[in-house]
Amino acid sequence: MSSPLIEVQDLHKSFGGNQVLNGIDATVEKGEKLAIIGPSGSGKSTFLRCINRMEEPTSGSIRFMGEEITDRACDINRVRRHIGMVFQHFNLFPHLTVRGNLTLAPVCLRIMSPEEADLRAAELLERVGLLDKIDEWPSRLSGGQKQRVAIARALAMDPEVLLFDEPTSALDPEMIGEVLAVMKELAEDGMTMLLVTHEMGFARQISDRVLFMDQGLIAEEGPPEELFSHPRLPRTAEFLSKVLRTEL
Amino acid sequence: MSSSLPQGRRGSTDRGTVLLVVCGLFLIALLFRSGFFAPASWQGFCAKFHQNFIEQRRYMMLVNGLKATLHMTFFATLIGLAIGLILSIIRVAHKGGARIGPLAAFANLYITVLRGTPVMVQLLIWNFTIFASARDLKTLYIAVLAFGLNSGAYVAEIFRGGIEAVDPGQMEAGRSLGLSYRVTMSRIVLPQAVKNVLPMLFNEFIALLKETSVAGYIGIDDLTRAGQNIQALTLEHSQPLVMVALIYLALVLVLSEGVRRLEARLRRSQR
Repeated sequence: MSSPLIEVQDLHKSFGGNQVLNGIDATVEKGEKLAIIGPSGSGKSTFLRCINRMEEPTSGSIRFMGEEITDRACDINRVRRHIGMVFQHFNLFPHLTVRGNLTLAPVCLRIMSPEEADLRAAELLERVGLLDKIDEWPSRLSGGQKQRVAIARALAMDPEVLLFDEPTSALDPEMIGEVLAVMKELAEDGMTMLLVTHEMGFARQISDRVLFMDQGLIAEEGPPEELFSHPRLPRTAEFLSKVLRTEL
Repeated sequence: MSSSLPQGRRGSTDRGTVLLVVCGLFLIALLFRSGFFAPASWQGFCAKFHQNFIEQRRYMMLVNGLKATLHMTFFATLIGLAIGLILSIIRVAHKGGARIGPLAAFANLYITVLRGTPVMVQLLIWNFTIFASARDLKTLYIAVLAFGLNSGAYVAEIFRGGIEAVDPGQMEAGRSLGLSYRVTMSRIVLPQAVKNVLPMLFNEFIALLKETSVAGYIGIDDLTRAGQNIQALTLEHSQPLVMVALIYLALVLVLSEGVRRLEARLRRSQR
């Protein structure tokens, strides 16, 4: 188990003529918490979405548990079972109850029997503090509750890593805390996490390493204390001063 | 009407009632002019009515015609649903990057041709050209096929709109869990799409019910043709056709009310 969980090499992505990623190199070790920050349009979300091929990379290599997932021969559906994703807009399935949201994939993919999936759903909802909502419809939940259910849904597949794509950006301010609390607990339990976020305080608090992206490249990376307190690049300092000012 | 209804809704219901009454009066005036009540007296009207519908159990002609009409509508609806669903999925999958160019081209051609030509012409072509030599095939089956294939083109566009209206995030969420495109489409996207377009689908089938009235042109004794047949027997020009119109109207009103209730129910469940 010496190889990293995720290994990205020279990743490029363009939409039409628009270059979004210009050669990303990054590795993620098992259990590591990685925060990805940067100005909007810097390619953070695109980078995250390439890791489970929600976006098809234009060129470059992404290895997950040693397997090249950009390979055409790679069965991406099998790989995705091990890479959970949490979206900015939750994307809960509105036609299913909370229980249905959590059990659909494990049962459809024959990973669990319906009974096992039910038990697991209850367990996970307990963990995110929403066991009492198990038979509720998503439309009746608050934003914070929806996102916690979305996290539980991703966890139902027992993923190796969770990708968070701005998980608190669509939430009312008073609901951000409850979602961050769940994520913090996950981090403490040793879950490998990649987090694209504008919550600098939170990124600093839970991450082992921060990537600062700018213009489709990783401009600077380092431990949060170092990067937030003593950024090497003027660009990083400028970005941080802007977002930290608004955070006050 | 429960008193909890907001004022606006109640107002529109009242307007609806007024509209219905006005339409009813207009219809009666029209009937009057057309000679439905032409026999000088009420007795004359009743005598005509008896001759047209009761004598020799002629009402059975209308009943059998109605049966043929409903039969065609029902089975054409099933064919339309199946074809529409398949065509719409082909078009959506093609847009989504699936390598099914020839299939998608066929779907496009199908929808263009069948929506771009009158259903009656299609019916005549099916009967007199394509199945011209298949004399042992019941014309009713040919009509069901013609109406079903035609309806499929319209249903395809309805379904496509419904699928495209589902948030792309739903497909992404399904795929991110490791579900295949096919499973995500059938278990996550389609159920939401169908729910969204259910009222439109029902309206399409109400329209289909009326469209089957051209089936007489290939010799099917549907409801419309039954009216004409009675005309031919009794040499009475207005009562049979007006009766036919009233039966269609009653059917359409009942079905429309069903759609209205369905819509209200769907709106409530979406909250």
